[in-house]
Amino acid sequence: MTPEFIDELEQRIGSEAVVRDQSELLTYESDGLVSHRSRPGVAVLPRTVEQVRAVVRACHEAGVPFVARGQGTGLSGGALPHPDGVLIVMTRMNRVVEIDIPNERITVEPGVMNLEVTRQVTPHGYYYAPDPSSQVICSIGGNLAENSGGAHCLKYGFTVHHVLGAEAVMPDGTLVHVGGLAVDSPGLDLLGVLVGSEGTLAVVTKVMLRLLRRPESVRTLLAAFDSTDNAGNAVSDVIAAGIIPAAIEMMDRTTIRAAEAAVQPGFPDAEAVLIVELDGHEAEVAAQFEQIEAIFAKNQGWGVQVARDDAQRGRIWMGRKAAFAAMGRVSPSYYVQDGVIPRSRLPEVLRRIRQLEQDSGLTIGNVFHAGDGNLHPLVCYDDAVEGQAELAERVASEILSYCLDVGGSLTGEHGIGADKACHMPKMFGDDDLATMQLVRVAFDPEGLCNPDKLFPTPRLCGEVPGPYRAHPAEAAGLAERV
Amino acid sequence: MHDAEGRRTGAAADAVDGVVPRWVAEPASQEGVARTLAQAGADGHAVLVQGGGTKLGWGPRLESVDVLLKTGRLNEVVAHRHGDLTATTQSGITLAETNERLSAHRQWLALDPPDRARATVGGILATNDAGPRRHRHGAPRDLIIGMTLVRADGVTAQSGGIVVKNVAGYDVARLLTGSFGSLGVIVDATFKLAPLAEASSTVVVELPDAKVAVGYAVDLLSRGLTPAALEIATDPLRVVLKFESLESVTEAQAEEAVTLAETHGGLGQLLEVDAQNEFWTAHERRVFAEDGTLLKAVVLPANLPSSLSWLDEATASRGLSYVLAGQAALSVLHLRLTGPVEKQAALVSEWRERLTLGRGSVVVRRATAELKALTDVWGSVGDTFEVMREVKRRFDPRATLNPGRGPGGL
Repeated sequence: MTPEFIDELEQRIGSEAVVRDQSELLTYESDGLVSHRSRPGVAVLPRTVEQVRAVVRACHEAGVPFVARGQGTGLSGGALPHPDGVLIVMTRMNRVVEIDIPNERITVEPGVMNLEVTRQVTPHGYYYAPDPSSQVICSIGGNLAENSGGAHCLKYGFTVHHVLGAEAVMPDGTLVHVGGLAVDSPGLDLLGVLVGSEGTLAVVTKVMLRLLRRPESVRTLLAAFDSTDNAGNAVSDVIAAGIIPAAIEMMDRTTIRAAEAAVQPGFPDAEAVLIVELDGHEAEVAAQFEQIEAIFAKNQGWGVQVARDDAQRGRIWMGRKAAFAAMGRVSPSYYVQDGVIPRSRLPEVLRRIRQLEQDSGLTIGNVFHAGDGNLHPLVCYDDAVEGQAELAERVASEILSYCLDVGGSLTGEHGIGADKACHMPKMFGDDDLATMQLVRVAFDPEGLCNPDKLFPTPRLCGEVPGPYRAHPAEAAGLAERV
Repeated sequence: MHDAEGRRTGAAADAVDGVVPRWVAEPASQEGVARTLAQAGADGHAVLVQGGGTKLGWGPRLESVDVLLKTGRLNEVVAHRHGDLTATTQSGITLAETNERLSAHRQWLALDPPDRARATVGGILATNDAGPRRHRHGAPRDLIIGMTLVRADGVTAQSGGIVVKNVAGYDVARLLTGSFGSLGVIVDATFKLAPLAEASSTVVVELPDAKVAVGYAVDLLSRGLTPAALEIATDPLRVVLKFESLESVTEAQAEEAVTLAETHGGLGQLLEVDAQNEFWTAHERRVFAEDGTLLKAVVLPANLPSSLSWLDEATASRGLSYVLAGQAALSVLHLRLTGPVEKQAALVSEWRERLTLGRGSVVVRRATAELKALTDVWGSVGDTFEVMREVKRRFDPRATLNPGRGPGGL
């Protein structure tokens, strides 16, 4: 990064929006995956789309790579800066552009927080459905890049199902409008591929979202099980009964105890708990609630707790959402994995993880979105013990291979980013990756937009991914992990 | 003469939109599709993919077809993972056959576009076509979780997988969905499924005008009712509801919908259970199974009443007539238009002028060659056209696949 190029950026967007001080740049050296660190050549904090375009155009002219970053809560190193590139920090583009209740839409800039969208429309009886656990602190732009999910995506889908349109700056600085406010737009579904592209195709500067009405009725219940097999079978039985709850979450003994130690949600001391939430029309919810209770009983569920009000519901969810951060209570360090399996394979994969726990001698906590088979094993280790960090990393990789063995995926919601790029060939063949590259080069022929992410490259894959450490925001209690 | 790929000389019976293809290939395997495409590429031949042939006339007028690639022999349900609520099917199987097989475990691929007995999974994906229950379940692009495709150069690639939650890599499957066979040939696809409901109830509500009808629909939803389908249709103007759930629930909601109709000055009728299928078939056929131009129009929900009243005036003043059915809450409308062709073209262009980009669109689906000559069937796709063209160029540099007839004219 030459000083002349930074001067040029200052000329174009003003020095107030440019961070060139080396110590200040340290703030941005990682996202939520702090094991990957790289200080950016320079950071910019645009307030307007014209400033974003000016920066991207300057990069395009000079052949300088750039990386867009939202709140930096991502867990796959998707916003890891390029050491010779520009980090475009989108946090100042945080305006709510238009709330359109009659059309059930909201248009926001990418720096608006996920939960803020819901806050804006709550008085009108609406909400924004995707709810990653970091929703207090993660931004919509990052959600779009990662196609973020959350506990309630079993019924309501992911970010891609709720984004209708986006304004974006192409890697050559051209401004485009993808999709719109209407549910369909003629042409190729570029939006479908832009969402979840991990910031490698364009820089999004405005997002049009679909809003949902608050359901008439919400019921949340929790039950304990003496084995993860029983809990897993209960999940299968719910699905087989033709019920799609809003959420089905599972925690195992390790994560239950951690949550209890941290936030005392009053969970039973059991091998597993399931949290099920039903929502919709009152009569339907009531009928399905009875079915679920019967399914729990059939699978030897006990200690059933039913949330009688919002406070109790909030307490149950607090216990679930605190599980990640709470692991810090039971282990000095832990490595968080994100993998997906077909939900019917849950009991068998959990048994393999249990065996791995015994063989490795490392504690593995499990907390996950059971309804859609999205596992988040937490591999505990102690940095002070020689070699344990490396062992934890290997154990986490091994779990990923279990997921792929049963036809699952490398990631359900955290993304590939820098972290798993080198794992991609385990899931996709050369032709599959080459086909994805066709999309990449159509958008970004020079490869300047968030390079070295998502795709395996020799430069990248010579490095070994490191263990998980708490993100500073998380450590401060500001964010939790899904 | 047949070769290994089932390739033979085209005959009159193979004609698409009046155009007889030079060759017809009907490969029996993914490898056969790959060989067919590689051969066509080497020969410099253009390829048109045909599933059930129900939508091949959509898009700009077909000038010529070198190779018509039929997917009819790719007609298997590859896997039904009922415990996971997912299934993989080949592209040439019909939707009706697919759902017949999936019903063994009381599940279905929750799509109900027209012509289900003939329309194939591949064709429905290629056009992202959906029906009334899109209201609850979404369009094909919302349900697809994985795909195997063959590129124009004969290379086979996978996208996505078999799990419902998966963010590994670009979602090429979604990009192919709605691409009208212009980027690759879909050989199989994996979907998330829905459980079949225990019961269904249908309510038909006649209402005095569009504003009242939309007001009724909005009121219904704001009261927490959860229909699987919420259609607005003409003529007469009515809102049609389908509730699918447990029997006690559908009955309760249907009764509530009928009662609510009265407060809006409408007349609601709960159909007999046995009369439902016949009713929905007729509902579909009124728009889709007759002669005339088929339009798909999408507007913003708040503009639906004004769009409908404008449509009444604009058609009447031009001597045109139409029938319409569509998803009220999504404001996706399907119209069958009849009358003088030049007036139809004028209607389409005036409607488009009323719609700002991103706030609605009018696409001509089925139309006569005469109308296609008078109007751009797609309308503007906006400032992303260059990106789309670049995607097309990268996927299909020799313009082998459905050239000039992809979305926006790719």
